[in-house]
Amino acid sequence: MITQVKSPILEIHDLTVSYDQSPVLWNVDLSLPSGKLIGILGPNGAGKSTLIKAIMGLVDPSGGYVKLFDKTLEEVRSRISYVPQRESVDWNFPASVLDVVMMGTYGKLGLFKRPGKKEKELSMESLEKVGMHGFANRQISELSGGQQQRVFIARSLAQNADLYLMDEPFAGVDMATETAIFELLQEMTAAGKTVIVVHHDIYSAVNYFDWFIMLNLHLVASGPKETVMTEDLLRKTYGGKLNLLTKVSDLIRQKEFNPLKN
Amino acid sequence: MSFDQNAFLIIITAAMIAISCGLLGVFMMLRKMSMTGDAISHAVLPGIVIGFFVSGSQRGLEVIIGAGILGILATLMIDWLRRKARVQLDASIGITFTLLFAIGIILINLLAYKVDLDQECVLYGEIAYLPIDLWLTKSGLNMGPRILYLSLLNLILVTAFIILFFKELKVTSFDENFSKVIGIPAGLINLSLMSMVSYTTVSSFEAVGAILVVALLVVPPATAFLWTRKLKLLIQLTIVLGIGISIVGYYLAYLFDSSIAGMIVSVAGIAFLASALFKSKSFLSRFGTSRQPESLKKIV
Repeated sequence: MITQVKSPILEIHDLTVSYDQSPVLWNVDLSLPSGKLIGILGPNGAGKSTLIKAIMGLVDPSGGYVKLFDKTLEEVRSRISYVPQRESVDWNFPASVLDVVMMGTYGKLGLFKRPGKKEKELSMESLEKVGMHGFANRQISELSGGQQQRVFIARSLAQNADLYLMDEPFAGVDMATETAIFELLQEMTAAGKTVIVVHHDIYSAVNYFDWFIMLNLHLVASGPKETVMTEDLLRKTYGGKLNLLTKVSDLIRQKEFNPLKN
Repeated sequence: MSFDQNAFLIIITAAMIAISCGLLGVFMMLRKMSMTGDAISHAVLPGIVIGFFVSGSQRGLEVIIGAGILGILATLMIDWLRRKARVQLDASIGITFTLLFAIGIILINLLAYKVDLDQECVLYGEIAYLPIDLWLTKSGLNMGPRILYLSLLNLILVTAFIILFFKELKVTSFDENFSKVIGIPAGLINLSLMSMVSYTTVSSFEAVGAILVVALLVVPPATAFLWTRKLKLLIQLTIVLGIGISIVGYYLAYLFDSSIAGMIVSVAGIAFLASALFKSKSFLSRFGTSRQPESLKKIV
Protein backbone atom coordinates (compact mmCIF):
# COMPACT_ATOMS: atom_id res chain seq x y z
CA MET A 1 0.00 0.00 0.00
CA ILE A 2 2.30 2.74 -1.21
CA THR A 3 0.83 6.00 -2.46
CA GLN A 4 3.15 7.94 -4.74
CA VAL A 5 2.57 11.65 -5.22
CA LYS A 6 3.17 14.12 -8.03
CA SER A 7 5.86 16.80 -7.52
CA PRO A 8 6.96 15.34 -4.18
CA ILE A 9 8.94 17.27 -1.57
CA LEU A 10 10.89 14.11 -0.83
CA GLU A 11 11.50 11.24 -3.18
CA ILE A 12 13.26 8.07 -2.13
CA HIS A 13 14.14 5.66 -4.87
CA ASP A 14 15.04 2.02 -4.17
CA LEU A 15 17.00 2.96 -1.08
CA THR A 16 18.98 0.18 0.59
CA VAL A 17 21.18 0.76 3.62
CA SER A 18 23.40 -1.84 5.24
CA TYR A 19 25.61 -1.85 8.29
CA ASP A 20 28.40 -4.43 8.05
CA GLN A 21 26.87 -6.18 5.09
CA SER A 22 23.57 -6.79 6.85
CA PRO A 23 20.86 -4.61 5.37
CA VAL A 24 18.80 -2.51 7.75
CA LEU A 25 16.64 -0.99 5.05
CA TRP A 26 15.50 -2.83 1.95
CA ASN A 27 14.43 -1.18 -1.29
CA VAL A 28 12.52 1.71 0.22
CA ASP A 29 10.72 3.52 -2.55
CA LEU A 30 8.35 6.34 -1.70
CA SER A 31 7.42 9.94 -2.36
CA LEU A 32 5.92 12.45 0.05
CA PRO A 33 3.66 15.45 -0.45
CA SER A 34 4.49 18.87 0.96
CA GLY A 35 2.63 20.64 3.74
CA LYS A 36 1.84 17.46 5.66
CA LEU A 37 2.59 16.16 9.12
CA ILE A 38 4.10 12.77 8.36
CA GLY A 39 4.70 10.01 10.89
CA ILE A 40 7.20 7.18 10.54
CA LEU A 41 5.96 4.12 12.45
CA GLY A 42 7.58 0.79 13.05
CA PRO A 43 8.88 -1.53 15.77
CA ASN A 44 12.32 -1.17 17.36
CA GLY A 45 15.08 -1.87 14.89
CA ALA A 46 12.80 -1.33 11.92
CA GLY A 47 15.19 1.21 10.40
CA LYS A 48 13.23 4.37 11.24
CA SER A 49 16.22 6.37 12.42
CA THR A 50 18.35 4.93 9.65
CA LEU A 51 15.83 6.16 7.10
CA ILE A 52 16.06 9.70 8.52
CA LYS A 53 19.85 9.51 8.63
CA ALA A 54 19.97 8.29 5.04
CA ILE A 55 17.78 11.21 3.97
CA MET A 56 20.12 13.61 5.80
CA GLY A 57 23.23 12.03 4.28
CA LEU A 58 24.53 10.81 7.64
CA VAL A 59 24.69 7.19 6.50
CA ASP A 60 25.70 6.13 3.00
CA PRO A 61 23.14 4.02 1.19
CA SER A 62 24.40 0.89 -0.53
CA GLY A 63 21.85 1.47 -3.25
CA GLY A 64 19.25 3.95 -4.44
CA TYR A 65 19.04 7.69 -4.00
CA VAL A 66 17.18 10.45 -2.18
CA LYS A 67 15.91 13.64 -3.79
CA LEU A 68 14.64 16.61 -1.84
CA PHE A 69 12.67 19.37 -3.56
CA ASP A 70 13.65 17.50 -6.75
CA LYS A 71 17.31 18.31 -6.02
CA THR A 72 20.25 16.66 -4.30
CA LEU A 73 20.80 17.21 -0.59
CA GLU A 74 23.83 19.48 -1.14
CA GLU A 75 21.77 21.97 -3.14
CA VAL A 76 18.98 22.32 -0.59
CA ARG A 77 20.73 21.88 2.76
CA SER A 78 19.58 25.23 4.11
CA ARG A 79 15.92 24.29 3.53
CA ILE A 80 16.10 21.16 5.65
CA SER A 81 16.18 20.86 9.39
CA TYR A 82 17.06 17.89 11.55
CA VAL A 83 16.25 16.99 15.14
CA PRO A 84 18.51 14.12 16.25
CA GLN A 85 17.68 11.82 19.14
CA ARG A 86 18.28 13.47 22.47
CA GLU A 87 20.71 10.77 23.61
CA SER A 88 22.98 11.42 20.65
CA VAL A 89 24.77 14.25 22.49
CA ASP A 90 26.34 14.78 25.90
CA TRP A 91 24.20 17.28 27.78
CA ASN A 92 27.07 18.04 30.14
CA PHE A 93 28.46 20.19 27.37
CA PRO A 94 29.20 23.71 28.63
CA ALA A 95 26.54 25.72 26.81
CA SER A 96 23.43 27.68 27.65
CA VAL A 97 20.02 26.91 26.19
CA LEU A 98 20.31 29.98 23.96
CA ASP A 99 23.78 28.86 22.75
CA VAL A 100 22.38 25.54 21.57
CA VAL A 101 19.36 27.09 19.85
CA MET A 102 21.64 29.61 18.12
CA MET A 103 23.50 26.68 16.56
CA GLY A 104 20.45 26.33 14.35
CA THR A 105 21.40 29.61 12.67
CA TYR A 106 25.03 28.61 12.00
CA GLY A 107 24.28 26.89 8.70
CA LYS A 108 23.08 30.09 7.06
CA LEU A 109 25.82 32.22 8.67
CA GLY A 110 28.75 30.67 6.85
CA LEU A 111 32.39 30.50 7.87
CA PHE A 112 34.00 33.08 10.20
CA LYS A 113 30.74 34.96 10.86
CA ARG A 114 29.48 35.21 14.41
CA PRO A 115 25.77 35.10 15.23
CA GLY A 116 24.48 38.62 15.91
CA LYS A 117 21.32 40.34 17.06
CA LYS A 118 19.15 38.96 14.28
CA GLU A 119 20.16 35.37 15.06
CA LYS A 120 19.57 35.96 18.75
CA GLU A 121 16.06 37.27 18.14
CA LEU A 122 15.25 34.33 15.88
CA SER A 123 16.51 31.94 18.54
CA MET A 124 14.46 33.63 21.26
CA GLU A 125 11.34 33.38 19.07
CA SER A 126 12.03 29.68 18.54
CA LEU A 127 12.42 29.18 22.27
CA GLU A 128 9.15 30.96 22.87
CA LYS A 129 7.37 28.62 20.45
CA VAL A 130 8.38 25.61 22.52
CA GLY A 131 7.71 27.43 25.79
CA MET A 132 11.34 27.56 26.88
CA HIS A 133 12.10 31.28 26.63
CA GLY A 134 12.30 31.50 30.42
CA PHE A 135 15.25 29.07 30.29
CA ALA A 136 17.36 30.90 27.69
CA ASN A 137 20.30 31.50 30.03
CA ARG A 138 20.08 28.17 31.85
CA GLN A 139 22.95 25.74 31.32
CA ILE A 140 21.83 22.72 29.32
CA SER A 141 23.25 20.35 31.95
CA GLU A 142 20.52 21.58 34.31
CA LEU A 143 17.58 20.63 32.08
CA SER A 144 15.20 17.70 32.37
CA GLY A 145 14.88 15.25 29.50
CA GLY A 146 11.70 16.83 28.16
CA GLN A 147 13.25 20.29 28.32
CA GLN A 148 16.31 19.05 26.44
CA GLN A 149 14.02 17.69 23.76
CA ARG A 150 12.28 21.06 23.47
CA VAL A 151 15.64 22.81 23.14
CA PHE A 152 16.45 20.52 20.20
CA ILE A 153 13.12 21.34 18.59
CA ALA A 154 13.75 25.07 19.13
CA ARG A 155 17.16 24.69 17.51
CA SER A 156 15.57 23.17 14.43
CA LEU A 157 12.94 25.93 14.35
CA ALA A 158 15.78 28.48 14.37
CA GLN A 159 16.99 26.92 11.12
CA ASN A 160 13.89 28.37 9.45
CA ALA A 161 13.64 25.43 7.06
CA ASP A 162 10.88 24.10 4.79
CA LEU A 163 11.30 20.43 5.61
CA TYR A 164 11.79 19.15 9.16
CA LEU A 165 12.99 15.66 10.02
CA MET A 166 12.63 14.73 13.67
CA ASP A 167 13.97 11.55 15.24
CA GLU A 168 11.81 10.57 18.24
CA PRO A 169 11.20 14.16 19.41
CA PHE A 170 8.61 13.00 21.93
CA ALA A 171 10.80 10.55 23.83
CA GLY A 172 10.70 11.54 27.49
CA VAL A 173 8.32 14.43 26.94
CA ASP A 174 5.29 14.74 29.21
CA MET A 175 1.78 14.67 27.77
CA ALA A 176 1.05 18.38 28.10
CA THR A 177 4.27 19.21 26.26
CA GLU A 178 3.62 16.53 23.65
CA THR A 179 0.23 18.02 22.89
CA ALA A 180 1.67 21.54 22.75
CA ILE A 181 4.44 20.47 20.39
CA PHE A 182 2.04 18.55 18.16
CA GLU A 183 -0.10 21.67 17.91
CA LEU A 184 3.00 23.65 16.98
CA LEU A 185 3.86 21.11 14.29
CA GLN A 186 0.31 21.30 12.95
CA GLU A 187 0.57 25.09 12.77
CA MET A 188 3.79 24.71 10.84
CA THR A 189 2.28 22.31 8.32
CA ALA A 190 -0.71 24.61 7.94
CA ALA A 191 1.80 27.31 6.99
CA GLY A 192 3.14 25.06 4.23
CA LYS A 193 6.09 23.42 6.01
CA THR A 194 6.53 19.67 5.88
CA VAL A 195 7.32 17.79 9.06
CA ILE A 196 8.44 14.16 9.19
CA VAL A 197 8.51 12.60 12.64
CA VAL A 198 9.76 9.23 13.85
CA HIS A 199 7.17 8.26 16.41
CA HIS A 200 6.57 5.20 18.53
CA ASP A 201 3.18 5.87 20.11
CA ILE A 202 0.44 4.71 17.75
CA TYR A 203 -2.30 6.17 19.95
CA SER A 204 -1.20 9.77 19.66
CA ALA A 205 -0.01 9.16 16.09
CA VAL A 206 -3.55 8.44 14.92
CA ASN A 207 -4.68 11.74 16.34
CA TYR A 208 -2.11 14.03 14.86
CA PHE A 209 -0.50 12.77 11.66
CA ASP A 210 -1.91 13.27 8.14
CA TRP A 211 0.30 10.74 6.44
CA PHE A 212 2.07 7.58 7.58
CA ILE A 213 5.17 5.72 6.58
CA MET A 214 5.16 2.21 8.03
CA LEU A 215 8.48 0.52 8.16
CA ASN A 216 9.82 -2.84 9.11
CA LEU A 217 13.18 -3.18 7.34
CA HIS A 218 11.24 -2.86 4.12
CA LEU A 219 8.52 -0.35 3.42
CA VAL A 220 5.10 -1.67 4.45
CA ALA A 221 3.02 1.36 3.63
CA SER A 222 3.19 5.03 2.78
CA GLY A 223 0.04 7.04 2.29
CA PRO A 224 -2.64 9.26 3.78
CA LYS A 225 -3.97 8.26 7.19
CA GLU A 226 -7.34 7.09 5.87
CA THR A 227 -5.85 4.56 3.47
CA VAL A 228 -3.02 3.09 5.54
CA MET A 229 -4.30 3.02 9.14
CA THR A 230 -5.65 -0.48 8.78
CA GLU A 231 -5.30 -3.51 11.00
CA ASP A 232 -3.77 -5.49 8.17
CA LEU A 233 -0.98 -3.00 7.51
CA LEU A 234 -0.29 -2.46 11.21
CA ARG A 235 -0.04 -6.23 11.64
CA LYS A 236 2.45 -6.37 8.78
CA THR A 237 4.45 -3.56 10.35
CA TYR A 238 4.53 -4.77 13.91
CA GLY A 239 4.55 -8.51 13.22
CA GLY A 240 3.31 -10.73 15.99
CA LYS A 241 2.88 -8.25 18.80
CA LEU A 242 -0.76 -9.19 19.16
CA ASN A 243 -1.51 -7.54 22.44
CA LEU A 244 -0.56 -4.20 21.03
CA LEU A 245 -2.40 -4.87 17.80
CA THR A 246 -5.67 -5.75 19.46
CA LYS A 247 -5.53 -2.46 21.24
CA VAL A 248 -4.79 -0.66 18.01
CA SER A 249 -7.57 -2.29 16.06
CA ASP A 250 -9.94 -1.40 18.87
CA LEU A 251 -8.72 2.08 18.46
CA ILE A 252 -9.39 2.10 14.78
CA ARG A 253 -12.86 0.61 15.18
CA GLN A 254 -14.01 3.28 17.59
CA LYS A 255 -13.30 6.26 15.42
CA GLU A 256 -14.36 8.65 18.10
CA PHE A 257 -11.98 7.05 20.57
CA ASN A 258 -10.18 9.59 22.64
CA PRO A 259 -6.98 8.38 24.28
CA LEU A 260 -6.83 9.12 27.96
CA LYS A 261 -4.19 11.71 27.48
CA ASN A 262 -6.49 14.16 25.66
CA MET B 1 63.13 33.27 45.92
CA SER B 2 64.72 34.96 43.01
CA PHE B 3 63.20 36.96 40.27
CA ASP B 4 65.65 37.50 37.50
CA GLN B 5 65.42 37.72 33.76
CA ASN B 6 65.86 33.97 33.30
CA ALA B 7 63.06 33.15 35.68
CA PHE B 8 60.84 35.60 33.85
CA LEU B 9 61.66 34.09 30.45
CA ILE B 10 61.08 30.54 31.63
CA ILE B 11 57.77 31.39 33.29
CA ILE B 12 56.54 33.35 30.26
CA THR B 13 57.44 30.50 27.91
CA ALA B 14 55.92 27.84 30.14
CA ALA B 15 52.75 29.89 30.50
CA MET B 16 52.47 30.36 26.74
CA ILE B 17 52.87 26.63 26.16
CA ALA B 18 50.35 25.87 28.89
CA ILE B 19 47.85 28.30 27.37
CA SER B 20 48.25 26.92 23.83
CA CYS B 21 47.81 23.39 25.10
CA GLY B 22 44.92 24.39 27.35
CA LEU B 23 43.01 26.15 24.57
CA LEU B 24 43.24 23.09 22.34
CA GLY B 25 42.73 20.80 25.29
CA VAL B 26 39.35 22.35 26.11
CA PHE B 27 38.00 21.26 22.76
CA MET B 28 39.76 17.89 22.90
CA MET B 29 38.09 17.27 26.24
CA LEU B 30 34.66 18.36 25.00
CA ARG B 31 35.06 15.96 22.08
CA LYS B 32 36.06 13.19 24.50
CA MET B 33 39.34 13.01 22.65
CA SER B 34 41.79 13.94 25.40
CA MET B 35 43.60 10.64 24.95
CA THR B 36 43.86 11.24 21.22
CA GLY B 37 46.07 14.15 22.23
CA ASP B 38 48.22 11.65 24.10
CA ALA B 39 48.38 9.45 21.03
CA ILE B 40 49.34 12.35 18.80
CA SER B 41 52.09 13.56 21.11
CA HIS B 42 53.80 10.16 20.84
CA ALA B 43 52.90 9.38 17.26
CA VAL B 44 54.71 12.46 15.97
CA LEU B 45 58.09 10.88 16.80
CA PRO B 46 58.70 9.29 13.36
CA GLY B 47 57.74 12.60 11.76
CA ILE B 48 60.25 14.44 13.93
CA VAL B 49 62.98 11.94 13.07
CA ILE B 50 62.30 12.11 9.35
CA GLY B 51 62.04 15.90 9.45
CA PHE B 52 65.27 16.02 11.43
CA PHE B 53 66.95 13.72 8.95
CA VAL B 54 65.82 15.78 5.96
CA SER B 55 66.65 19.19 7.40
CA GLY B 56 69.66 18.19 9.46
CA SER B 57 68.57 20.20 12.48
CA GLN B 58 66.00 20.15 15.23
CA ARG B 59 64.94 23.63 14.29
CA GLY B 60 63.87 23.07 10.71
CA LEU B 61 60.41 23.68 9.40
CA GLU B 62 60.63 20.13 8.07
CA VAL B 63 60.46 18.79 11.61
CA ILE B 64 57.18 20.58 12.25
CA ILE B 65 55.76 19.54 8.90
CA GLY B 66 56.83 15.93 9.43
CA ALA B 67 55.27 15.88 12.88
CA GLY B 68 52.11 17.54 11.57
CA ILE B 69 51.71 14.90 8.89
CA LEU B 70 52.26 12.09 11.41
CA GLY B 71 49.76 13.67 13.79
CA ILE B 72 47.10 13.75 11.09
CA LEU B 73 48.04 10.20 10.06
CA ALA B 74 47.60 9.04 13.65
CA THR B 75 44.19 10.75 13.85
CA LEU B 76 43.08 9.16 10.59
CA MET B 77 44.36 5.75 11.66
CA ILE B 78 42.53 5.91 15.00
CA ASP B 79 39.37 6.98 13.23
CA TRP B 80 39.71 4.28 10.59
CA LEU B 81 40.31 1.53 13.15
CA ARG B 82 37.29 2.66 15.10
CA ARG B 83 34.84 3.10 12.24
CA LYS B 84 35.88 0.53 9.68
CA ALA B 85 37.63 -2.14 11.68
CA ARG B 86 35.23 -1.72 14.64
CA VAL B 87 37.99 -1.51 17.21
CA GLN B 88 37.07 0.29 20.42
CA LEU B 89 38.35 3.83 20.70
CA ASP B 90 40.75 3.20 23.58
CA ALA B 91 42.19 0.13 21.87
CA SER B 92 42.61 1.92 18.55
CA ILE B 93 44.41 4.77 20.31
CA GLY B 94 46.70 2.30 22.07
CA ILE B 95 47.50 0.42 18.87
CA THR B 96 48.10 3.53 16.80
CA PHE B 97 50.42 5.51 18.98
CA THR B 98 52.54 2.63 20.20
CA LEU B 99 53.02 1.44 16.63
CA LEU B 100 54.01 4.88 15.36
CA PHE B 101 56.20 5.55 18.38
CA ALA B 102 57.96 2.21 17.87
CA ILE B 103 58.60 3.07 14.23
CA GLY B 104 60.08 6.35 15.48
CA ILE B 105 62.46 4.54 17.81
CA ILE B 106 63.58 2.21 15.02
CA LEU B 107 64.15 5.20 12.75
CA ILE B 108 66.24 6.91 15.42
CA ASN B 109 68.40 3.79 15.72
CA LEU B 110 68.74 3.35 11.97
CA LEU B 111 69.67 6.97 11.46
CA ALA B 112 71.57 7.29 14.70
CA TYR B 113 74.84 8.15 13.01
CA LYS B 114 73.20 11.07 11.20
CA VAL B 115 70.72 12.35 13.74
CA ASP B 116 71.55 13.92 17.05
CA LEU B 117 68.29 12.90 18.68
CA ASP B 118 67.06 10.31 21.11
CA GLN B 119 63.70 9.27 22.52
CA GLU B 120 64.46 10.84 25.85
CA CYS B 121 64.85 14.34 24.48
CA VAL B 122 61.47 13.98 22.76
CA LEU B 123 59.78 12.45 25.78
CA TYR B 124 61.12 14.69 28.50
CA GLY B 125 62.48 18.01 27.25
CA GLU B 126 64.06 20.57 29.55
CA ILE B 127 62.82 24.10 29.86
CA ALA B 128 65.67 25.09 32.18
CA TYR B 129 68.02 25.21 29.15
CA LEU B 130 65.83 27.85 27.58
CA PRO B 131 67.93 30.91 28.48
CA ILE B 132 71.08 29.45 26.93
CA ASP B 133 69.40 28.17 23.75
CA LEU B 134 69.51 31.44 21.87
CA TRP B 135 68.31 32.53 18.48
CA LEU B 136 71.29 34.04 16.73
CA THR B 137 70.77 35.79 13.40
CA LYS B 138 73.21 35.27 10.53
CA SER B 139 75.08 38.42 11.49
CA GLY B 140 75.41 37.04 15.00
CA LEU B 141 72.82 39.24 16.61
CA ASN B 142 71.38 37.76 19.79
CA MET B 143 67.60 37.78 19.59
CA GLY B 144 66.94 35.98 22.86
CA PRO B 145 65.78 32.43 23.65
CA ARG B 146 64.67 30.48 20.58
CA ILE B 147 61.93 28.53 22.33
CA LEU B 148 60.36 31.74 23.56
CA TYR B 149 59.73 32.73 19.93
CA LEU B 150 58.56 29.25 19.00
CA SER B 151 55.99 29.20 21.76
CA LEU B 152 54.89 32.78 21.05
CA LEU B 153 54.28 31.91 17.40
CA ASN B 154 52.48 28.76 18.50
CA LEU B 155 50.28 30.70 20.91
CA ILE B 156 49.37 33.27 18.25
CA LEU B 157 48.44 30.59 15.72
CA VAL B 158 46.45 28.53 18.23
CA THR B 159 44.57 31.60 19.45
CA ALA B 160 43.80 32.69 15.89
CA PHE B 161 42.58 29.19 15.08
CA ILE B 162 40.27 29.08 18.09
CA ILE B 163 38.88 32.57 17.47
CA LEU B 164 38.31 32.07 13.75
CA PHE B 165 36.67 28.68 14.09
CA PHE B 166 35.05 29.14 17.48
CA LYS B 167 31.51 28.66 16.20
CA GLU B 168 32.47 25.60 14.15
CA LEU B 169 34.51 24.06 16.97
CA LYS B 170 31.62 24.57 19.36
CA VAL B 171 28.92 23.01 17.21
CA THR B 172 31.04 20.08 16.00
CA SER B 173 32.11 19.33 19.57
CA PHE B 174 28.54 19.36 20.84
CA ASP B 175 26.69 17.61 18.04
CA GLU B 176 28.75 16.30 15.15
CA ASN B 177 25.84 14.92 13.13
CA PHE B 178 23.87 18.13 13.39
CA SER B 179 26.84 20.16 12.21
CA LYS B 180 27.23 17.87 9.20
CA VAL B 181 23.56 18.32 8.40
CA ILE B 182 23.78 22.11 8.41
CA GLY B 183 26.75 21.90 6.06
CA ILE B 184 29.70 22.47 8.42
CA PRO B 185 32.63 20.27 7.36
CA ALA B 186 32.96 18.45 10.68
CA GLY B 187 35.67 16.10 9.44
CA LEU B 188 37.82 18.97 8.22
CA ILE B 189 37.39 20.91 11.46
CA ASN B 190 38.40 17.82 13.38
CA LEU B 191 41.52 17.29 11.28
CA SER B 192 42.47 20.95 11.64
CA LEU B 193 42.19 20.67 15.40
CA MET B 194 44.36 17.54 15.36
CA SER B 195 46.92 19.28 13.15
CA MET B 196 47.07 22.15 15.62
CA VAL B 197 47.58 19.65 18.44
CA SER B 198 50.41 17.96 16.49
CA TYR B 199 52.04 21.30 15.74
CA THR B 200 51.71 22.42 19.37
CA THR B 201 53.20 19.15 20.58
CA VAL B 202 56.24 19.52 18.36
CA SER B 203 56.65 23.17 19.13
CA SER B 204 56.61 22.39 22.84
CA PHE B 205 58.45 19.09 23.09
CA GLU B 206 61.90 20.64 23.47
CA ALA B 207 60.69 22.64 26.41
CA VAL B 208 58.41 20.25 28.28
CA GLY B 209 58.61 16.96 26.39
CA ALA B 210 55.88 14.89 24.75
CA ILE B 211 54.61 13.29 27.95
CA LEU B 212 54.13 16.51 29.86
CA VAL B 213 52.51 18.17 26.86
CA VAL B 214 49.74 15.64 27.31
CA ALA B 215 49.28 16.75 30.89
CA LEU B 216 48.97 20.36 29.78
CA LEU B 217 46.40 19.31 27.16
CA VAL B 218 44.31 17.35 29.61
CA VAL B 219 44.67 18.61 33.18
CA PRO B 220 43.96 22.38 33.11
CA PRO B 221 40.77 21.98 31.00
CA ALA B 222 39.59 19.11 33.19
CA THR B 223 40.22 21.19 36.31
CA ALA B 224 38.38 24.20 34.88
CA PHE B 225 35.47 21.96 33.87
CA LEU B 226 34.99 21.08 37.54
CA TRP B 227 34.30 24.73 38.25
CA THR B 228 32.14 25.93 35.40
CA ARG B 229 29.62 24.84 32.78
CA LYS B 230 30.05 27.98 30.67
CA LEU B 231 32.27 27.60 27.64
CA LYS B 232 33.81 31.08 27.67
CA LEU B 233 34.46 30.92 31.40
CA LEU B 234 35.90 27.44 30.93
CA ILE B 235 38.41 28.78 28.41
CA GLN B 236 39.31 31.77 30.58
CA LEU B 237 39.76 29.60 33.63
CA THR B 238 41.99 27.22 31.65
CA ILE B 239 44.19 30.17 30.65
CA VAL B 240 44.42 31.43 34.23
CA LEU B 241 45.31 27.91 35.40
CA GLY B 242 47.99 27.67 32.71
CA ILE B 243 49.62 30.86 33.95
CA GLY B 244 49.19 29.93 37.62
CA ILE B 245 50.75 26.48 37.39
CA SER B 246 53.69 27.90 35.43
CA ILE B 247 54.49 30.45 38.13
CA VAL B 248 53.95 28.13 41.10
CA GLY B 249 55.64 25.22 39.30
CA TYR B 250 58.72 27.26 38.49
CA TYR B 251 59.27 28.48 42.04
CA LEU B 252 58.63 25.07 43.57
CA ALA B 253 61.19 23.60 41.16
CA TYR B 254 63.58 26.36 42.18
CA LEU B 255 62.92 25.64 45.82
CA PHE B 256 63.43 21.89 45.51
CA ASP B 257 66.03 22.21 42.77
CA SER B 258 64.05 19.88 40.55
CA SER B 259 62.60 19.59 37.02
CA ILE B 260 60.54 22.66 36.13
CA ALA B 261 58.23 20.92 33.66
CA GLY B 262 57.74 18.06 36.10
CA MET B 263 56.87 20.48 38.86
CA ILE B 264 54.47 22.47 36.66
CA VAL B 265 52.56 19.33 35.81
CA SER B 266 52.59 18.13 39.42
CA VAL B 267 51.12 21.45 40.50
CA ALA B 268 48.45 21.08 37.81
CA GLY B 269 47.66 17.59 39.04
CA ILE B 270 47.41 18.74 42.64
CA ALA B 271 45.17 21.65 41.60
CA PHE B 272 42.94 19.14 39.84
CA LEU B 273 42.78 16.78 42.81
CA ALA B 274 42.06 19.64 45.18
CA SER B 275 39.28 20.90 42.90
CA ALA B 276 37.81 17.42 42.56
CA LEU B 277 37.87 16.95 46.32
CA PHE B 278 36.32 20.33 46.99
CA LYS B 279 33.69 19.87 44.31
CA SER B 280 32.71 16.39 45.39
CA LYS B 281 32.21 17.68 48.93
CA SER B 282 30.10 20.66 47.94
CA PHE B 283 28.38 18.48 45.36
CA LEU B 284 27.31 16.06 48.05
CA SER B 285 26.01 18.75 50.36
CA ARG B 286 24.24 20.60 47.57
CA PHE B 287 22.61 17.84 45.56
CA GLY B 288 23.27 14.52 47.18
CA THR B 289 21.45 14.83 50.44
CA SER B 290 19.34 17.93 49.96
CA ARG B 291 17.36 16.41 47.09
CA GLN B 292 14.69 16.14 49.72
CA PRO B 293 13.68 19.40 51.35
CA GLU B 294 15.27 20.20 54.70
CA SER B 295 12.01 19.65 56.55
CA LEU B 296 11.70 16.12 55.18
CA LYS B 297 15.23 15.24 56.20
CA LYS B 298 14.46 15.92 59.82
CA ILE B 299 11.52 13.55 59.80
CA VAL B 300 13.54 10.81 58.16
